[in-house]
Amino acid sequence: MSAAQWGGASAIFLASAVEWVEAFTIVLAVALTIGWRRAIGAAAAALALIGILIAVTGAGLEAAQADIDRIRAAIGIFLLLFGLRWYTKAIRRAAGRTALHDEAREFAATREHLEQSESRAAWVIAFKGVLLEGLEVWLLVVALGHTLSYAAAVGSALASLVAVVGFGLALQAPLTRVPENSLKFLVSCAILSFGSFWSIGGIVGQQAAWPLGDVTLLLLFAAYAVAGRIIARALRMPRSRGPLGMRA
Amino acid sequence: MRKLLQLIFGDLRNVTSVALALLAAYGLSRIAPAAGGILLVLILVAAAAVQAS
Repeated sequence: MSAAQWGGASAIFLASAVEWVEAFTIVLAVALTIGWRRAIGAAAAALALIGILIAVTGAGLEAAQADIDRIRAAIGIFLLLFGLRWYTKAIRRAAGRTALHDEAREFAATREHLEQSESRAAWVIAFKGVLLEGLEVWLLVVALGHTLSYAAAVGSALASLVAVVGFGLALQAPLTRVPENSLKFLVSCAILSFGSFWSIGGIVGQQAAWPLGDVTLLLLFAAYAVAGRIIARALRMPRSRGPLGMRA
Repeated sequence: MRKLLQLIFGDLRNVTSVALALLAAYGLSRIAPAAGGILLVLILVAAAAVQAS
């Protein structure tokens, strides 16, 4: 695998891990209410649907007879839209302007909600929770997989699923120690790097836009990471500690 | 469906920021191709700073 493929696979692994952690919190809360068998059934049904979406959209993109530069430009623009949203959100959280995602609070809120629901409603909550978190994984696997490698993209998403479920089952508790915002920040830098590289590269020509070739991806990643830290530091609220390792 | 669209595109500010960044980068790259990408990154970083503030 090339450096770009490793970068893409790592971005998918980390982004998927963030989503799977959130999904696991919901499934765990449901499992403790209606039992593991039904909760796992709901999660498996949602995962199967995501698998079908990946297979269908991936095959559709493979079959598309469009020029590779056009496909790259379209995927790049999508990655910019997706990445900028995550990047801004991570910066806001690092600056203390938005509360950090708290798995323990999410778990407690879901359990409280479940206590007032019927068993069937609990199944739907687990299904919807996994599906909604998995949709972001689907988008990334299809977008990055088309240009890098579907096998690597799907493999990365599955590996992170296995890792999160493994840790979660071992702990039998929400994964509160995962530094979600730091992961989201790093992943958003990687997504923006690929998005910038492919979007303008696909429009004006890869060699013309980025004469340094694939090495540019590393430079873009560094630029977004440094800029994001500077912005978060400038925006931070007094008396809070940023999750990107900065004192706020 | 609304949730899915929001998941892909984000809000109007997000879409506008990316569209403006790409248009400006494309415009510059017609004169200086290698500078277009740099402008794209600069505008996106500026957009993130404005949106985050």
